[in-house]
Amino acid sequence: MADNHSEEHHHEEQHIGIPGYLVVFGILVVGTILTYTVALNDLDSILFHGANTLVALLIAFIKMSCVMLFFMHVRWSPRLVWLSAVGSFFWLAIMFAFTMQDYFTRGSGVFGG
Amino acid sequence: MATHVDTHGEYHPPGLQHQFEDMKQQEESVSIGMWMFLVQEIMFFGGLFTVYLVFRSRFPMAFAAGSNHLNVVMGFANTLVLIVSSLTMALTVYYAQKGNRNMQVILIILTMIFGATFLGVKVVEYKEKYDDGLVPVTGLNRKVKASAGEEHGEEPAKPCWEGAHEEHEYINPKGEFQWHDCSLAKKAENEGFLTPTEKIGYYNPASGQIDANKFRDKVRIYFWIYFAMTGLHALHMIVGLILMSWLLYKAWKNTFSAEYYMPVEMSGLYWHFVDIVWIFLFPLLYLLGRHFIAHGG
Repeated sequence: MADNHSEEHHHEEQHIGIPGYLVVFGILVVGTILTYTVALNDLDSILFHGANTLVALLIAFIKMSCVMLFFMHVRWSPRLVWLSAVGSFFWLAIMFAFTMQDYFTRGSGVFGG
Repeated sequence: MATHVDTHGEYHPPGLQHQFEDMKQQEESVSIGMWMFLVQEIMFFGGLFTVYLVFRSRFPMAFAAGSNHLNVVMGFANTLVLIVSSLTMALTVYYAQKGNRNMQVILIILTMIFGATFLGVKVVEYKEKYDDGLVPVTGLNRKVKASAGEEHGEEPAKPCWEGAHEEHEYINPKGEFQWHDCSLAKKAENEGFLTPTEKIGYYNPASGQIDANKFRDKVRIYFWIYFAMTGLHALHMIVGLILMSWLLYKAWKNTFSAEYYMPVEMSGLYWHFVDIVWIFLFPLLYLLGRHFIAHGG
């Protein structure tokens, strides 16, 4: 009984091991350096207005995904954890979108009107 | 813990609480609870990110000007320090699952050292802002008395977009927020990308020119947001360090094993979350206006 019990659910490795952790760490460091390098170049005038911010957020989003999936083990977590993680960003997006659709449609002026 | 065997007459994993069927159910319940906490933390910081979004979209040049004044080297170093601490935290969980006490203790201590380093750098940064008169609360900045014969509070006669790179000894007897440089707004005006909202926000309605005081007030909004967001983040780091101290004590007593390691895993989730917040704060606060000044523009 005792043996069965403990073997029941610590059989599979629920992480990527030390080499995997080091790879994720490497991605995070490269991402940080890339963020800084990109920020020194004026992408706004090369590409389009807001490109600098967009690229910075894109890199931050990739870094965040790496941390969540591998350091926080979401990759091996139950569906309910996936739902919580994705759901929180969904609600965040609603907060941003509804707030900004208000501010962007108030006409001219410091806060419109 | 050993009494479990006696009362039930059958085997119990040492970390299993009575209300759960087995370790798997207990671990899932624990991690759902922790994730619910993290979801509300995301919404909590999300409110501040919304404030940032609203004001930055209104006054992008004031935000860029304020951002360019931050110490980007320290911000960059702190980002790396936090990423390393996330790695040591992830490895702590790894060794807790293996039941390796010594590696756990070493890695928790390393995580705490990196966390403390982050806070130390933050203190140096806050001190710089205090010396430069950039704390947005009147009276909380370094008070500099007027020297004899000088009129105090006298603004320089030059317009605020000239002499931006001169080091001038400001006079600040009341500890007020100090900002004299509006060259970035002037640059945007010259190159024609000052938005209509910004014109209302920065211009003196009488003269139709950029007004140093009006621009300063918009930069002040940026520094409010900077202190609120990094301050709240630093508070989370302090809580994280307290959590780590407790974890260190438990690990020292060899509490964690392949069967019972959820406290380490959950503290790790919290630590990584705080790291993720900084991953967004660094580009949004430190780097947003760098491209305007990077090549001597």
